[in-house]
Amino acid sequence: MGKYLLRRILQMIPVVLGTTLLVYALVFALPGDPVKAMFGDKPVNEAVAAQIRAEYNLDKPFIVQYFLFLKNALSLNFGETFAGQPVISEIGRAFPVTIKLALMAFCFEAIFGCVFGVISGLKKGKWYDSVILIVSLLLISVPTFVTGFLGQYLLGVKWRILPVTAGSNPGFLDLLMPAMVLGSVSMAYIIRLARSEVSSNIAQDYVRTARAKGMTNTSVTFRHILRNSMIPVVTYLGQDLGALMGGAMITEQIFNIHGVGFLTYQSILKGEANMVVSVVTLLTLVFVVCNLLVDMLYAALDPRIRYA
Amino acid sequence: MTDITKPLPGQERYVAPLDETPLQTVDTVDESAPASSMWADAWRTLRKNPLFIISGILILFIIFVALFPGVFTKNDPNYCNLDNSLEPAAAGHPFGFDLQGCDVYARVVYGTRTSLSVGILTTLIVVAVGTLVGAIAGFFGGWVDAVLSRIVDIFMAIPMLLGAIVVLQMFRTITSIWKVVLVLALFGWVSTARIARGAVLSSKNLEFNTASTALGSTPTRNLFRHILPNSVSPIIVIATTSLGSYIVSEATLSFLGIGLPTTTVSWGGDISKAQSILRTDPMVLFYPSVALAITVLAFIMMGDAVKDALDPKSRTA
Repeated sequence: MGKYLLRRILQMIPVVLGTTLLVYALVFALPGDPVKAMFGDKPVNEAVAAQIRAEYNLDKPFIVQYFLFLKNALSLNFGETFAGQPVISEIGRAFPVTIKLALMAFCFEAIFGCVFGVISGLKKGKWYDSVILIVSLLLISVPTFVTGFLGQYLLGVKWRILPVTAGSNPGFLDLLMPAMVLGSVSMAYIIRLARSEVSSNIAQDYVRTARAKGMTNTSVTFRHILRNSMIPVVTYLGQDLGALMGGAMITEQIFNIHGVGFLTYQSILKGEANMVVSVVTLLTLVFVVCNLLVDMLYAALDPRIRYA
Repeated sequence: MTDITKPLPGQERYVAPLDETPLQTVDTVDESAPASSMWADAWRTLRKNPLFIISGILILFIIFVALFPGVFTKNDPNYCNLDNSLEPAAAGHPFGFDLQGCDVYARVVYGTRTSLSVGILTTLIVVAVGTLVGAIAGFFGGWVDAVLSRIVDIFMAIPMLLGAIVVLQMFRTITSIWKVVLVLALFGWVSTARIARGAVLSSKNLEFNTASTALGSTPTRNLFRHILPNSVSPIIVIATTSLGSYIVSEATLSFLGIGLPTTTVSWGGDISKAQSILRTDPMVLFYPSVALAITVLAFIMMGDAVKDALDPKSRTA
């Protein structure tokens, strides 16, 4: 296990380096001048522009810039925003909000996705199986921003159950509807995945053997069928936790939540190149680490997998 | 009753004649029947699937609307009169008018072409590039595979929406829909590449490939004549399913205001414009959303049906 972990961490290095290089190249090397963006609509003062270029190492060759960025990033020094705030403190303010939102969405999709998916898979062909299937298909085909508006209109404006927008320092109730909206599409995918896994595992020989041994229905379901069905579901959930952090952009935009997605989108619009590169780098790290954790979880769930 | 202790004429020991075995129908092979290919078999399965019939009819209808929007409405989607702002439905204008006084029905009809072209063009590029890269990686293996797989990993780690926004922001001045298509393809090809690589890897080691090599076939001929045709079905499945997700991505980007230009009639753009009047006139937002959802739903159902037909292991019934 230790050896495998070490190998995986070593494999992560080129991926993280490549991803940051790609993002850095997209932001800094493509047409569009980040320094010019700083001046906004005002005319560019060449002397000031040159000073800023020197300060952000923009006057150096691209690859040198990139390595200087990496060197600073290792000491969590991501530079400053246009307004003079350290990027890391802006990120520090936004990250907890998004983590809260992503975790709530994660719990929502994991609990409801598994429960409905398993019920649907165990009782295939019943009327509630069809209802669950149709609802999950609908959730997948309706884009997140439409689900968001629908939730805002019905739950917020019409029935006044939940707050319509969240604001800058959101509590549990403020984030409840955004979390459900954010998790709804993944929940639908989990329902479909869990359903097909459960229904194919029911027909397996080991289930028949377990029943023949005289095990009760409950323990066959929980100890055999569910344990085997959960492996792909856990993989999906693990990858999704990373994706939720980055995918919160739309939801945060609709519900006015000042998290990472909101910050990133505003920074991209304003051309705050430093901020964009820093946030995307951190999100990539989260994503890669989540994938690693999933692989570790495999061994716990499936004794057939042994990492030598 | 035959004497089973004695062999029948021409036999060394007794073997029951075919018409006495219960498996007679299984053992008989009608050699005059035409050979059934995987595609014929898949088509037979598809034809019986209600999911396929419904989604097929829907998709044909959507394509028809996209090709001939003029059949469905006589109104110009870009003719907007502020006198009509937020007017309710009237004769000839079944969905009413939006804030700018444009006919909502006409905009929904004309928006079909935008969404569908972005979805289809992106899928075509993604399939071409993804299959090529995946096939090269799987077929040649070794360092080629290692390098290409790392590149795929790198693109996989960047969330599609985030990457698309960063790139689109750079090219804000370009107004062609190709901008959105190419950006979606840039971040979309990796999943197809990964699946194509897996499919090529698994069919590379099958017996027909060895047999073909033994008969003197070159590796390139093997790749195009044997390996690729046998790897096609997982690629078709992911292409059909992801077509819907590209349409959603385009709408999302247009919704954020950095996808298609506001002059192009698109569902995402119209939903974005309608969000400010959500609390008073939700129907203006409702119609393009429903059109978008039906289109995506049709392609997802089609993907499910095709998957059932081409991948017998996933068959649910």
